[in-house]
Amino acid sequence: MQWLWMFCLVSAAFAGCSNDDNAAAMPQVSEELTEEQFEELHAEVIRPEELWLTIPWQTDLLAAQQIAVAEQKPIFIWAMDGHPLGCT
Amino acid sequence: MSTFGDEKTVELIRDEFIPVAIDQWYTRSQEDAEGEFYRRIAAQGPRTDFEQTTQGFYLADAAGNLLGYNNNRHGTPLKRLLIQTANSFNENETFEPIVQDIADERYTRVVPEGTVTVRVNAKILGGYDEPESQWDEIFQNAVSRDNLWILSGEIESLSRGEFPVALATRIARFHLVDNTRGEPVMWRADQVKELEISLSDGLITGNAYLETDDGKRHYRVALRGHVEFEDGRLSRFDIVALGKHFGHGWYTPDPPDGEFPLAVTFRLADGSSVSDSVPPQGTKGWLPQYVELR
Repeated sequence: MQWLWMFCLVSAAFAGCSNDDNAAAMPQVSEELTEEQFEELHAEVIRPEELWLTIPWQTDLLAAQQIAVAEQKPIFIWAMDGHPLGCT
Repeated sequence: MSTFGDEKTVELIRDEFIPVAIDQWYTRSQEDAEGEFYRRIAAQGPRTDFEQTTQGFYLADAAGNLLGYNNNRHGTPLKRLLIQTANSFNENETFEPIVQDIADERYTRVVPEGTVTVRVNAKILGGYDEPESQWDEIFQNAVSRDNLWILSGEIESLSRGEFPVALATRIARFHLVDNTRGEPVMWRADQVKELEISLSDGLITGNAYLETDDGKRHYRVALRGHVEFEDGRLSRFDIVALGKHFGHGWYTPDPPDGEFPLAVTFRLADGSSVSDSVPPQGTKGWLPQYVELR
């Protein structure tokens, strides 16, 4: 009952906010997800294979420093707010 | 051209450098050998206030001498800098390895034993205005990335056909977020207004409603998914969450106007990507807030 009440509230809110131009392109959002929606979205919302992930990133700066010493190469540091490999 | 969208740039980083990716929020503050080495390098760049962000791309030798800095989202200046640095680097110079004696515990996140990692992606499915630039288009179509940790005791509960409350809470507070444009604001415990996730015969169903008291942010969402075990091992943990999100956080400005459809998907990590080892964003700053949920 609680969810039915919520569903009515949500539907009303969505109706009030809908934009005719956008509505056609918007996915259907409701109280429950169907198996079809699950399969479609699970396949769609995924990071594609990305070129930069072919780079053998270290995640520890000193480990990188030690490899740089051994291989006599400079270090490339990608320093971000949030981990570049995890929050991108 | 975006920063890593160019094959030559990626090839240079891969072949001519030792690449490392860090969350500088941690490293710039660490009172240990790693923090000291990072500050030594960053202090030679343009961002020397270690109370503020020092983000960017740094090129350095193993002694900590800065060879170049770039913080431009366009790829061409970075590629130019990489070529210059690779060409001028003296391969015959020798350096000493730096060993971490005692790591600063305040910034150390240890994965609890028996934890399973789940990849989490989110995408806004509509509601944006027509993009006005290449960068608008990239942001509008962005699929975010994070990891969810499922703790060993929670895996046991799942194997018994129960969806643990702590796992449901962790998903709601730290993963039902719009992180498609930057670091998101997580939900506080009191902002979880409704949450019900159940497991029956391997099928996950649920709903959640998350809202800030000031009404500036909310997300009403339905979930559906599947859990499977093979030989006692968790072999499938697939979930889709779909709902209407409203509002934004400090680092995630400019969402679509009004409510917009936001989908979040979950799938088991197979360890094939280096990003599988990155701790969840929700552990940032204080690990217990993420793992010690009831």
